[in-house]
Amino acid sequence: MRLFNARRLAAGALFGVVASSATLPGQGSQIVIDKSTLANGLRLQLVEDHSSQVVAVSLWFDVGARDELKGKTGFAHLFEHMMFQGSANIKKAEYFQLIERAGGRTNANTQYDITRYYEEVPSNRLNLALWLEAERLRSLNVSAENLKNQIEAVKEERRLRVDNQPYGSAIWEATLSLFDEGSCFAYAHSLIGSMDDLNASSVADVKAFFDRYYAPNNAVLTVAGDIKPAEVKKLVEQYFGSLQRQPEIAKPACDQPFNVGAKRTRVPDDKATLPAVLTLYRVPAAGHADYPALDLLTTILGTGESSRFNTVLARDKKLALGQQLYLNPFGPRRGPGMWMALAIANQGVHPDSLEAGMLAEIARVASEGVTEAELSKAKNQFRASKTNERQTAFEMTEAIQAATFYLGSAEAINTDLDRYTKVTVADLKRVAAQYLVPANSLIVTVEPQTKKGGPVP
Amino acid sequence: MSTPSMRSLITRGTTRGFTSYAVAALALSAGALSVGAQSFPARPPAPTAIAPAQFPPFQQAVLPNGLKLLVVSNPRLPVLSISISFPAGSQYDPDGKSGTAEMVAGLLTKGGGTRNAEAVAAAIEGVGGSISAGAGADFLTVNVNVLSDNAPLALQLIADAVMRPTFADKEVELYRTQTLSGLQLSQSDPAAIAARVFARELYGKHPYGRSADPASVKAITRADLVAFQTSRLAPRGALMVLAGDITLARAQQMVAAAFTGWSGMRPAAGALLGVESSRTATEVVLVHRAGSVQSNVVMGNLTWAPADPRSYAATIANKILGGGADSRLFMILREQKGWTYGAQSGLTRQLGTGYFTASTEVRTEATDSSLKELLTQLHRIRSEPIPAKEFDDAKNSLVGRFPLQVQTADAVASQVSTAQLLGLAPDYVQSYRQKLAAVTPVMALAAAKAAFRPDAALVVVVGDGTKLYDKLKAIAPVRIVSPDGVRLQPEDLVVKAVALDLAMDQLAPRSDSFAVYVQGNVFGFLRSRLERAGAGWKYIEDTQLGPIMQQHTEVSFGADLEMTAVTQSGKAQGMDTKIDVSYASGRAKGSATTPQPTGGTKTIQVDAEMPLGAIDDNLLASLLPAFRWVAGAKFPVALFSSGKGSLTPAMLSVSGEESVTVPAGTILAWKVDLTGSDQPVTFWVEKSAPHRLVKFASVGAPVEMRLVK
Repeated sequence: MRLFNARRLAAGALFGVVASSATLPGQGSQIVIDKSTLANGLRLQLVEDHSSQVVAVSLWFDVGARDELKGKTGFAHLFEHMMFQGSANIKKAEYFQLIERAGGRTNANTQYDITRYYEEVPSNRLNLALWLEAERLRSLNVSAENLKNQIEAVKEERRLRVDNQPYGSAIWEATLSLFDEGSCFAYAHSLIGSMDDLNASSVADVKAFFDRYYAPNNAVLTVAGDIKPAEVKKLVEQYFGSLQRQPEIAKPACDQPFNVGAKRTRVPDDKATLPAVLTLYRVPAAGHADYPALDLLTTILGTGESSRFNTVLARDKKLALGQQLYLNPFGPRRGPGMWMALAIANQGVHPDSLEAGMLAEIARVASEGVTEAELSKAKNQFRASKTNERQTAFEMTEAIQAATFYLGSAEAINTDLDRYTKVTVADLKRVAAQYLVPANSLIVTVEPQTKKGGPVP
Repeated sequence: MSTPSMRSLITRGTTRGFTSYAVAALALSAGALSVGAQSFPARPPAPTAIAPAQFPPFQQAVLPNGLKLLVVSNPRLPVLSISISFPAGSQYDPDGKSGTAEMVAGLLTKGGGTRNAEAVAAAIEGVGGSISAGAGADFLTVNVNVLSDNAPLALQLIADAVMRPTFADKEVELYRTQTLSGLQLSQSDPAAIAARVFARELYGKHPYGRSADPASVKAITRADLVAFQTSRLAPRGALMVLAGDITLARAQQMVAAAFTGWSGMRPAAGALLGVESSRTATEVVLVHRAGSVQSNVVMGNLTWAPADPRSYAATIANKILGGGADSRLFMILREQKGWTYGAQSGLTRQLGTGYFTASTEVRTEATDSSLKELLTQLHRIRSEPIPAKEFDDAKNSLVGRFPLQVQTADAVASQVSTAQLLGLAPDYVQSYRQKLAAVTPVMALAAAKAAFRPDAALVVVVGDGTKLYDKLKAIAPVRIVSPDGVRLQPEDLVVKAVALDLAMDQLAPRSDSFAVYVQGNVFGFLRSRLERAGAGWKYIEDTQLGPIMQQHTEVSFGADLEMTAVTQSGKAQGMDTKIDVSYASGRAKGSATTPQPTGGTKTIQVDAEMPLGAIDDNLLASLLPAFRWVAGAKFPVALFSSGKGSLTPAMLSVSGEESVTVPAGTILAWKVDLTGSDQPVTFWVEKSAPHRLVKFASVGAPVEMRLVK
């Protein structure tokens, strides 16, 4: 019964904050990125690679839940739904159908810092993927009826994934109080948003959001795979060139200081029948020098059968039924992030005992450090996963986009691995002592409740 | 339960609809403003030409010991995928020992050379790689993926696995136990029953028709595993594919070093591979599962040898018929008729004669309509010209998808080795797209005629025969069998509840407490109480299973075991569940809200016949003390599932005696198997009076209830 397999939910793996490469022998060659900018500000990044006959198109907008203001939460995600509701030349179902009939796949996803749209197609259908992305930017159908449908769809998604899941509200909402609403509303509010805010949204709101954020100068289009850059540039100019530049947007700040004192919250949960403990710590942004050490530490503590949490807490002490550790569970960020350990108490284990066990394992890193063998295993796993990721055009575009948005430049994919390679056991000890400390923490205890409000017998 | 997936929350689903709205363009008119630039097309652009496949060159070599090497050299990334395949699939299982090939494969990575199972896992985890092994009908394959600087370790692990597997007794028995649990569980899984019966009926006595069963798995000894490994995992006849950052020269040198001293005879050839179908008319084999609310329908026929040139055209015809969300079967059975969540068809290619299947899982009431529709669609696709648009959409999707399937070294290696092993044309992988693209609608029609045989099909339906027999008989001749293959007659379909002959004087007020173990860890509890209620009895049970479920059950019954009522309330995977059923005048009436395998809960109104002698299935455990236990005893019991509102004939059989250690002590117990029910269960019942239930376990799930007091 693998409830919470102790495998990291690979925030890095898909969102690729830590796209690696290529400067050490045996890491593959440098990725050459052809960068240009259209007159309207759309940035274009191309990687020509004829090792397969596949092209991936990745369009990231510099907008996410982070940009939402009080009273307008949930808009970024709601808007992503609206992007599939049809446009002047395309019916609702056709985005998926046209790509499927071309043999490809497509989807989209919303995070705190960005919203991403992508297609993976055989290279002779690159024109279709680019056309579809441009088509909806040119003439998206924002109608009252579509908006109402999608608000309902988001509500259903919330019921399914947050309200009806044990520990759902703890993970999705209680963890947000790690950040302060005053100094960092950006990361202190829910990504899926408040239902009241969504209900109150109007067609005019959605159109204003679209105009403001879905502008060519607020997006990066990355295309990788079996392409001829000159041809892609011509097509992109033809399809996207007439989109109109919009005023630049100031990014909301997150002035969240570290070590502001321990926080604690208890969450009643009528879907859960066993207590759970979440320990969270504020950590720096993905581009910060300490980030690789924190990432490797997450692997050592939480990934695989031989991880410390699994061997000590689950197997030896039998405190936890299972656990999952994450560095940035909701995707990487340009602002401060969160380090999170989640464990479910074994039958008969009081959450306080579980919490003490978790904190002891975390504190042990700061006091005793880790072994060279543990660090080497974590680095090997990192290097292998990042190298394997480059095998497909789609993962290549994701890695480049992540480097662009979180590490400051697309070329960072060629240097990021160095940051990880250089990490020492001393670094791990230091970052554990610096960030994974009580004054920098939030502890969330999930307490099972019956429907009527009493504790579970 | 599953963890709330953080990623999936923010990934949108593929909602589909067909409403279109006119809308004012938000962008400027391109034509008016951008002089010289081409305007934005109002329709999707046409595909550009397909370039010939750019596969890395394949190089082959044969080592002195006869091992065939195939190298797909691609130094773009420092990754390496290695697979080695042997003619050692399940078709070579010794008679009476079906399951041998799979067991050998499963154990190859569980210790070899100087490493035990844990050490193998640690070695590969330590370098961020992976190792796996498996056996199909024709071949046994070991796969390893690593970064290329770990090539020597990868080859050493493979050499240890295939040349020096340990087959440690502990691992053999662990594997056997898991396999037996899986088999027992599959006897309650209608899809697995359908697949097994379909293979047996389609291939008859040919090895492709056999499948492992508990007796054959129990019969396999360690010596059998060693004999299979030494005789079939030989270099001669094997194919090793290395794909990724490696050259042929380096591969030859490293393989020779890692496999020093490996030799052996070419394994004996298998059975005659070609199978001719003797079927001249469509026949239905109805597998009777009393109480099924759904039917699993699998129909199909034999096709041809793997290199048959009609394969390309048949693949496109199949895509149109049942290959995906755009296909006829899916659109008609699911979208139009709403009979099922899915309907699909497929062509299977193997070393010997392959086969075609079309399958669906439908509500019992829609079974005959669905089968008729399947047959109608099969007739249609082989007789009516395929509309050009539909044909092009299907072909383009298949042609387009292929490059996505060969992007990684691992995927290329897999495609190339499959083609080699099946003896396909040397340029099969390189020319696949062009060959598909060259298919015309006329060719697809001709291939469909040969590949889909609604006129001479084998149809397997697993479902409730009492409700299906007459309706299916109107479609084609029907043969009825039980899930374990015993021939039944139509009159056997009526459930006869047998009055249970229990020693009611053995029943006494009692309360028991069980600890629930999952994989050896305490995970919850089950407390039960049997008490007098007037002249009759009341059984009360509280169960909690980790965060997954908790429930409270009460069953009332009379002095003569006549059921009165059952109530149950609880929560499973975060959802509220409830059962409220009363028994009177030979009927069960009430309602039940239970979790569904597909997610969510479903509420049904219960109104069903409740023959005398049938008992509520919640009650069975509490009645065990009153059975007249002797060695080899078999007790038929008619179990009423109040959650499903249906009756199932089940069997309690004493299969042995064991000394069982539980928190309450070490107790000599009868081992009693419950079969025929949806979830098979093994009970251990104290041999001496008062015949307490000591332990029970759900077959196939790692869950055990052990008596505490």
